[in-house]
Formats: sequence, C-alpha cells, structure tokens
Amino acid sequence: MTDARIAGHGGYLQEESGDLTDLKPVVKEATGQAVRRIGRFISLALIGAARCLGGQTPPPETAVYFTTGSGDFEVTVEVIEHLFRDGFPPKPLSFINTVSNAACFYVAKQFGLSGRSSCLGSKGFGFEAALQLAVLDLKTGVVKSALVGSADIVIPPLDAHRKRLGQPPGAPIAEAAHWLWLTADGEGPAVEAARFFTTRADLLAWIAAQDFDPETTLLAAPVDLAETSLTRRFDYLMGQPYHDSGSARAAGAFLAEAAPGERLVHIASDDEGRYAAFTVRA
Amino acid sequence: MRRAWFLGAGLHTTLGRGLPANLAALPAGPPEPGFTDVPLGEGVERTPTMLLADLPLEDVGTRLWRALEPVVEEAIAASGLTPAELERAALFLGSSSLDVSVSEAAYAQDLLVDPDARPLMANVAMGGLADTLRRRFGLRGPDFTVNTACTSSANALIYADAMIAEGLIDHALIVGLEIFNVITALGFQSLALLAPNGMRPFDPARAGLVLGEAAAALVVGAAPGPSRFRLIGGANLCDTHAVSAANPDGTTVAAVMRQALADAGLTTSDILAVKAHGTASLLNDEAEAAGIQQVFDDIPPLLAMKPFIGHTFGACGLAELLLVCAAAEAGRLPPHPGISATPGDLGLALNQTWAPVGRGAFLLNYFGFGGNNTSLVLAND
Repeated sequence: MTDARIAGHGGYLQEESGDLTDLKPVVKEATGQAVRRIGRFISLALIGAARCLGGQTPPPETAVYFTTGSGDFEVTVEVIEHLFRDGFPPKPLSFINTVSNAACFYVAKQFGLSGRSSCLGSKGFGFEAALQLAVLDLKTGVVKSALVGSADIVIPPLDAHRKRLGQPPGAPIAEAAHWLWLTADGEGPAVEAARFFTTRADLLAWIAAQDFDPETTLLAAPVDLAETSLTRRFDYLMGQPYHDSGSARAAGAFLAEAAPGERLVHIASDDEGRYAAFTVRA
Repeated sequence: MRRAWFLGAGLHTTLGRGLPANLAALPAGPPEPGFTDVPLGEGVERTPTMLLADLPLEDVGTRLWRALEPVVEEAIAASGLTPAELERAALFLGSSSLDVSVSEAAYAQDLLVDPDARPLMANVAMGGLADTLRRRFGLRGPDFTVNTACTSSANALIYADAMIAEGLIDHALIVGLEIFNVITALGFQSLALLAPNGMRPFDPARAGLVLGEAAAALVVGAAPGPSRFRLIGGANLCDTHAVSAANPDGTTVAAVMRQALADAGLTTSDILAVKAHGTASLLNDEAEAAGIQQVFDDIPPLLAMKPFIGHTFGACGLAELLLVCAAAEAGRLPPHPGISATPGDLGLALNQTWAPVGRGAFLLNYFGFGGNNTSLVLAND
C-alpha cells in the first residue's frame, strides 16, 4: 500500500467577534471569480479548497471528502425560523442547501470534478473520519486523487452560537475551512496512516509498533500519552479561536513549520476513551 | 473473500414494523398514500405521505427513537453478533435530515414560551445522532455519519464494505433513517415535487414523490451468515449538471452504473433485476431512464420501491435494499401493478407481477441532491 501524498494544503481561519467578515471578496480572490447564490458555508468550502489547490487543476476524477461540525447553520436556521416563527415556506434553493453535501457539489462544480463525493460527520472525530475514508480509498486504488476538507461557520448572535458550540461566553470562535489535496502517486509530504482505536491499549500498541523516531517525531494530542517515547509536542491549537473541525488544520500547520523528514503523530480522543490517529510525514 | 455479508436486518416503513411484515406486504403491490397536514402560519399545508406504520405522528420529540431503537434491536438480534463483536463494530449512519424532527419539536415548544427563542440550540452536531445511537447499543468502534442526501445509506454500505474488505473492521451496523419533518415536507412542497396520487416512476402520469419514512438497520460482517446476500460492487460519482437534478441526457447515471458493474466484475447480462431510484419526478426519471437504456441492451426486470414506501430520502439506500433482498430471498420480485405497465414516453416498464427470480446479482440505483449518484451491486448466489 502506498502513502497518500499531500499534493496541496490550504485553508481559511478567521476569528469572528462582531460583524462577520464579508466572504464575497475572499471567494473571488481565492477562486478567481464571483460565485453567485451561495451562502457562508459553501463560500468557506470553496475558499478552503481553492487555497489548497493554489491554482493547480486536479484530475476530473478527483473525489471530495468533506466534513463539518454542524453543517450549514446559516441556511438551516433561516429555513426553520421562516417555517416555525414567521409562517413562510422555505425558498427552494435554501431548502436544497440545508443538505450539507451541497457544499461538495459546489466544490466539485468549481473545479470540474466528477469523482466520489461525500459529506461525513463524526462527533469529535469529523476530520479524522473523512481522512480515514479518503486514505482507505487512495490506498486501495478506488480513487487516485482526493480533496479532503472541512468548513465551519459562525452565525450571529455570537453568544447564542457559542452556546451551540459548547463554548463559554466570550470565548474566541472562528469560521474556518481546512483542506488537503491527496494523491496516490508522487513524492513529498504524505499522510502515512489514518486509524481509529477502540481503546487506549490499542492506540498504544499501534504507536509502539510504528517505531517512531522520538528525535524527528512530533506529537499533537489533547491527552497525556506518557507511556510513549514521544516527547516533542506540536500544539497547533494554542491561542487559536475555536471551531469544530480544528484537527483539520493540523497537517497544514505542521507542514508550514516542519523540516523534511519530520513526522507528526496526531491523536484525538473522546470522553469514552476512543481514539483516532493520523500521521503526516514532511 | 472479506466483503460486507448481510448478517441481520431490521426495518420499519409504512408497510409495517419488522422485516417479515414488510415482506408480507409486497405481493399486493404499492399501497395508497395518505396525507399529513402541516401547520404553516395561519394555515395548513396538506402533504402526501407514507408514514411509519403503527407509529402515529405524535410526541415528535421522542418518536425518532421509538422508531429507531426497535429496528436496531431487530437487526442485532438477527445478526447473532456476540456482545464483544458488537462492542468493536463500526456504525455507519446514513440520513438526510438526521434528527431535525427533534430540533423542530424543541424549537416549536420554545416559541410557545419565548417568541424570541432561537432554533437549533441543541442536537446541532452532525455526528451527534450517531454518537447517541452508538452509546445506547454499546458500540465502541468508529462511527460515521454519511450525509449525502438520498444516497446517504447506500454510500454508508459502500464505506462499510471497504473497511471490512481492508480488514479495518470485522462488523458494522449500518443504519438508514428518515423521520417526517417540516423542513423536508414543505421544502419539497416549495419545489412543487409532491404528488398527491402516489408515485408512478417512469409512467407517463408520473407527477412527483410522496414523503416516506423509514428506519432501517443492517448488520454486516466479513464472513457469510445465513443470508447469501453481500455487496459485490459499488460506485459513487458526482454529477455537476445541477444541484437538484441529474443530467437528463443520462450520461452521468450510466457512468455510475457502469462503474459499479465493473467494480463487481460483472456485465449487464449477469444482472437479474434493476432496482431504479425512480423518484417519479419529470427530470430525474428522464435521466435515469436514459442512463439505464445506455447501459443495458436488454433491460432486466425493473423494480421501483418508492411506490411502496414513499421517498425515504437518506434512508432509501438501505430501506429499498432490504425490501429487494427480502423479496429475492423469498424467490420473488415485487410487483407494481398498473404503474409503468407498458413502456411509456421514457421507454421503461416496471415488473408487474410477484414474479419468480433465482439467485444472482442485482443492481440498485440511488441519486441525490448535490449531484450524488450511487449504484450498488448485490448478489446472493
């Protein structure tokens, strides 16, 4: 099995604390054109994917694996308020866009893609779920090229939105989109593994079996993993505003700083002691 | 070979609770739809529906779980999984609207107390429903929520199969769920896609869809169980013709069917029957008919399960699959008396009788908003 080569990475991260950033010029700058009749959620997906591709053209059979913490809040809140508070039926396009995979459609359309298209979620492991399935498809030859990314929006009023996200009053929150372009062939940085572990013992056994070099391996993990020999830490979340798909930013943040040959081991966990890991080689 | 072998299933649709009740209802052909009145402002919108049997549209806040839990219990019990196997199983939830019915009920209640209440203050995580389901049934494996509109639970099966084939998991619980909600009902009403007189796929009199509900569950494993059914091929592609309709020339539909057949290593002559997506809408039936005719020189018996249970959206991938499998295991194909009895303007006719069928391969189509096209190939030989 081959690694999943990272052919591109990029994204968008903007703390929102008052009037929301106007995304229209950002979309235009990123994609080279104005895109009509899209809201913030689809805009963010397009911005992240365009910055990831950086002007390159992916093969038309490229697949899209997309994740989001809570989907298109903007349009869903609009539709549900119209229906229940105002007594209006939904606008047809607003209704269609309540389906979160509409963002996948606009990414595919923008970049001329016709491959597999999936909107995926997993509480606490959303990006890991999308990455795991993308890497699986790349390694088994089902796809040769994959865009893997996220989008999370903010809607006003911000205090209500913080509550939805489980964040305390006044906590910094952000809109964000983070994307990777993975290919089955090529040289350079790569996602080497993306795995899920039912128990801590399974995770630790896997880490031990990988024989990571502590000198060149950085560990990004929200939990103590003192049992491992990995002591170099990589804290890409420190000082960053909250958004649901935070771990989608890890690979790009690591590659921006890493020396060739360095490796990131990224671990996420939930409150039941389940774990997801992925590794990135610079 | 490690594939997603079908080990046990549960199903609740308008045809009945439990897989046996659903199978027993098939020989009679599609039932008549009902209607559900949906309050909107000062008025009421009447929507054609095929709601879950024996589960009235009451106490909406708990209705989702009253539908879902028994179906999952049915599937797990039929699968014979041990508690240890279940604990390590993965969960794949395919749904279009997830638990928005619960969010709607909560918001409606909040508005009674506070006219300035805000919606979606709970149940907002896309993976939240799967996480709750996983915990209720003691699963600790990975959980995936697949949200690709009407292909959701079909795509969930493709991913479960891939993870089993690669040895990443040994078992998976796949769930398809679609529960009546106001957003979906009045959204399709606003698109003028609802048909008051039932669904008539590929028929000259087709006029759109009926809102269906389904809770479906399937346990799959790497080794065969009593059923010989397993997934032997699948494909999912994106059609960027339009966000809400497939390309009417049929090319993108044909492409996904051909890729699924190639994945299965079969030719069209190997297919015993085709289960169409068959939404009975003008454009999508046109696209699917054109695609089927491009792929098949001789079209095998054609089935469409939405006239039986309505359009169950994200659940239709699994619910319609289970109906086809149940009928095929009984050695029969479901009949659609009077619907597309002869080829009309689209050139396709549906199977008309409770016809015998042998063991072999079946092709199932699913298409969804967002240009999401999926075909599955199942076999029971």
